[in-house]
Amino acid sequence: MIWVGVAVVVLMALLGAPLFAIVLAAAMLGFLAGGEELSLIAINIYGMTDKPLLLALPFFTFAGYLMAAAKSSERLMDLTRALFGWMPAGLAIVGFLACAVFTALTGASGVTIVALGALLLPMLKSSGYGERFSLGLVTASGSLGVLIVPAVPLILYGVIAQQMDVGETFTIQQLFLGGIGPVLVMLALLSAWTVWRYGGGRRLGFESGTFWRALSRRRLADLSSAWSVDHREGVTRTAFDAAELWRAVKAARWEIPLPFVVLGGIYSGFFAISEAAAMTALYVLIVEVALYREISLRALPGVARDSMVMVGSILLILGVALAFTDFLIGADVPQRLFAFMQEHVTSALTFLILLNILLLVLGAILDIFSAIIIMVPLLLPVAVGYGIHPIHLGIIFLANLQIGYFTPPIGMNLFIASYRFDRPVLELYAACLPFMVVLLIALLIITYVPALSLWFL
Amino acid sequence: MPRRLQQGLKIAETLLLAILLLVMIGVAVAQIVARNAFGTGFVWGEDLVQVAVLWITMLGATAAAGTDSHIRIDLVSRFADSRFRAVAGRITAMFTAVLCAALGWYSIEFIRWDFIDGTPGFGAVPAWVCETIIPVAAAVMAIRYLGHAIWPNRDDQA
Repeated sequence: MIWVGVAVVVLMALLGAPLFAIVLAAAMLGFLAGGEELSLIAINIYGMTDKPLLLALPFFTFAGYLMAAAKSSERLMDLTRALFGWMPAGLAIVGFLACAVFTALTGASGVTIVALGALLLPMLKSSGYGERFSLGLVTASGSLGVLIVPAVPLILYGVIAQQMDVGETFTIQQLFLGGIGPVLVMLALLSAWTVWRYGGGRRLGFESGTFWRALSRRRLADLSSAWSVDHREGVTRTAFDAAELWRAVKAARWEIPLPFVVLGGIYSGFFAISEAAAMTALYVLIVEVALYREISLRALPGVARDSMVMVGSILLILGVALAFTDFLIGADVPQRLFAFMQEHVTSALTFLILLNILLLVLGAILDIFSAIIIMVPLLLPVAVGYGIHPIHLGIIFLANLQIGYFTPPIGMNLFIASYRFDRPVLELYAACLPFMVVLLIALLIITYVPALSLWFL
Repeated sequence: MPRRLQQGLKIAETLLLAILLLVMIGVAVAQIVARNAFGTGFVWGEDLVQVAVLWITMLGATAAAGTDSHIRIDLVSRFADSRFRAVAGRITAMFTAVLCAALGWYSIEFIRWDFIDGTPGFGAVPAWVCETIIPVAAAVMAIRYLGHAIWPNRDDQA
């Protein structure tokens, strides 16, 4: 009887039922099978009220939506360009940095592509970057900041990992520190690759069609003909301009203190994370509504509503997932999973490889929030059993899922970019591929060099 | 349902969400100020904000149910043809409606126990009052998904 129920739930998931309903159904089935009361579900949902860290989510999300509704993306773009635009392949690097910061601030909901990508894409093209490269850059960078404070996925991981009792403890501040090294690796690799392709006044061309044809016909000698170097056409470089920088700083004067409000609040010990989030929300509210006056009082309830619809749909999944986790732990599922894994997978290294593959697949079909909420309770105890630190696991999780955002066939950002730039999704698959390869290399480094995420311990 | 009533409900929902959010921000910041400037916090403030997270979650989720914009795995809707999609949409909406109804129904039991025990919530407000949002929101979501199952192409069923 239970298995019929399980089959129905799986079928509904595949047909596209809302995830909260799927998890709710799974939790109910679990409690029924164990002869428990179904009121346990409401008890677990109410359990959300004793997780102080959760408060950070609505606050940071609201702040992010406010910035997305104002012209913050333009100011951020101008400032980053004035600061870093003079570097070789400077505009592309500016793109990576600005996208990472904007995604961290706005919570990785696809808004980076909509707000920043639309500014960046024409700029890149007119500076001489290839069409496909530019499209790939704005799409793949739309999730670049999920490891930077105060990205919501990072906080969500902290909330879930901390409420589980896995032996290893950590603070949320440590989790934030852990993200720094991996983000730098990603940015460094992306920048190095871009400079290699576009730096030094030349343009390195790559014909993937020629490459695959040569590969499929096993004519290895022809592989190199896929590459071409064009010395006449390069990207334009702009000189550093102090006046420009001053203008950009003046325009963004109210938003520049923001990182200090967030980070200062978190690391000074004056406020808890949730309080730093409340301060951030209040600060951004005042800045965008009263100082920049880019969001009218009439428009404010709409922004609040949109952001809280997003928060509600994430936290409802979290609420029902708390119930599902309660069932899983009661039924010893993580322990059994670990015992099963131990029989087949002996080394931590093999486990990590399997984890990477699993998360890539999951990241391509689930959004980052649901993937964290559903998979962390299952995988965290197993990972700790293999000697992987919870902070490192979190970083691996997020770095993986970040790539999932633009992994074919249904990575969310591919569709957002397709819609926003009016290009077929297939073209975006191709455009994102090289960025995916670079970020996969970064992912491997992040996964197999734990010290990158744990240097401060 | 008449259009004006629907519009009114949507505005009420939006205002409720906005006010709740602003109150949360206000109370949370007031607490920081009280603690750091005067060395005293107010205990109920913290609890109030935490309960408000639950309310915002349930109200936000209710609003998401109205526009059927809850997070889902999008495999079918991306690749299936429109007729299959329409049928799948009705079936999954029905499934969701039933589950929301069940959630609401079984949460009443929980509230009843906290009512009998007199479990404290925040300040003078008992826990059962804070918990009522669960069945209320679940019921509204059930009705909305029932609406999506019966009239799939209308936005914003109330």
